[in-house]
Amino acid sequence: MHDAVPALPSRAGRAPLSEGFRVDLRLIDWIWHIRGSLALAPGQSSDDAFDRLDPLFGQTGTGHDRAGDTLTFQKKDPGAQDKLSVFDRGVLRIERDAAGPVLRYHLVSRILLFCFVAPLLFLAFAQLTITLAKFQKPSTEATATSGKTAGAAPKKPGDKAAVKAADVPMNPIDKFLGAPAPEKPKKDGESKPGRRNKKPSATPAYVFAAFFAILYIIGRILEDRLVRRLFEKKLAGS
Amino acid sequence: MDGVRVGNRVIGAQSPVTIGWENIPKVQGGPIKRFVFTWFQPTMLFGLLAFWYYAPNSIATASTAIGIGIGFRVLLFALEWVNPRYESWRLTWKEMVVDLFYVGLGYTILRIVDNYIGSDVMVKAIQGHFHWDSFKWFTGLPLLLQAFLIAFIFDFGQYWMHRGMHNWYPLWLPHSVHHYITQLNVNKGAVGNPVELFLIGLGLGGFFDFVPRAFLLAGAFGMAIGAYQHINVRFDSPRWWRFLFNTTEHHSLHHSQDFEATRSNYSGSFIFIDRMFGTCIDGEAELLGMEGGRRMSIPEQMTYPFTEAWKTLKEKFGRGSAVVPAE
Repeated sequence: MHDAVPALPSRAGRAPLSEGFRVDLRLIDWIWHIRGSLALAPGQSSDDAFDRLDPLFGQTGTGHDRAGDTLTFQKKDPGAQDKLSVFDRGVLRIERDAAGPVLRYHLVSRILLFCFVAPLLFLAFAQLTITLAKFQKPSTEATATSGKTAGAAPKKPGDKAAVKAADVPMNPIDKFLGAPAPEKPKKDGESKPGRRNKKPSATPAYVFAAFFAILYIIGRILEDRLVRRLFEKKLAGS
Repeated sequence: MDGVRVGNRVIGAQSPVTIGWENIPKVQGGPIKRFVFTWFQPTMLFGLLAFWYYAPNSIATASTAIGIGIGFRVLLFALEWVNPRYESWRLTWKEMVVDLFYVGLGYTILRIVDNYIGSDVMVKAIQGHFHWDSFKWFTGLPLLLQAFLIAFIFDFGQYWMHRGMHNWYPLWLPHSVHHYITQLNVNKGAVGNPVELFLIGLGLGGFFDFVPRAFLLAGAFGMAIGAYQHINVRFDSPRWWRFLFNTTEHHSLHHSQDFEATRSNYSGSFIFIDRMFGTCIDGEAELLGMEGGRRMSIPEQMTYPFTEAWKTLKEKFGRGSAVVPAE
């Protein structure tokens, strides 16, 4: 089926890719290319079909060109509610075979490619977090060890930052209302609550990598179906 | 377009806006729906405050706050589907991908930057020079008052930082990217140039983490009020709520295509700060964004402050820009 789908014109100012490389690219370009075909009503002319689809290409930031049986379009900064905002360019061609006229389309989406690559970016952030934490760890341990060996004096009650919330009596209003008393201050070296005392964790990066992997699968299926349904509706005249 | 006179200013001369609460549409539907969308916001605020006030120490932790924050966002997502304010702001797959990308940056790379060169480092440095004894008067105050003061001081700082961004070109450049969003959704607050997201992260909140409960309560103020700034939900918020707190209506005016309207409603949570300084406008807008609502791509969002700064510098200092032929 894909062989019959129209090829995109090479973009202005770019040298055409060699045939060998183009074949290789076809194996992976389904990631951000959406191809499909729709049977038109018997006897429906190209002009009639494109006239029905025309409002889709009259959106802000969209340029399109009709030449016979082919319509090409490009988008720059499309509006958020533009029904084709996911796509940056595409070709629609009407072909006639024994069964009747058929609309074949080939659409390109950079946001699909971005979403596909995003998990790798977040995995890289996770790796960066781990690497930086490793670099930081030895220096922290070294400080702790040197402190012990040098026989560092224990903190006096009057030391800066040694006074914790729990040293402060609860306000009588809070006691009356039954708020839990603050925890006793923890010993030196124990972790304290609050994110300030925590090293950045790689977990959020892994979570977002998974989010984008799931979002890509949803988007690749959903946008394929939505654009097909959109073309069907417009061609049916609704 | 004539616009509407608000004090000394004319609002809505460039793009349509709605001014005055009496002109803002109400929630459509049966009595239960209207009840829910009237009392949802106050119920969530008081519910969260009660939770953080009474939760045992083992539960009142930062990780619980993160969990609640995520759960609350998911709930707000659901509300957007049930009762959108504008159909023209419907969340699409593409918008969601872009929004979550910026949310993801905030949880990962920006947190790393913050940890090594940002507010975390500043907080630690300044904490080391303070005598915490001098804060005893503060930590002895009732918890809710402490929490309000923390939230207020933080929001007061954010107000002036935000107002500064709209009035001083070097700060406007990174902030301008956020004003290219063309619709409001739950996660749109995260969308912006990373330089701005880093700047806005430089807050005072970290100074107070030695009182976790007051800090968590202050976070509840921020979450249960500030979260509604960028949201596509129609609420019939009670009159007192709209008087005290920033709402999605206020913030949509701030994001309007109308220049004068954008120079209002700078606070994050407490709109009465805007009322104090004469920058509050009660109303809403549907058409949002800069340059008549041009939507930026992610690559442009990343580079815009730098390319614009370069253009400005070239215009100002570049050779040949003001060459006048000799007579």
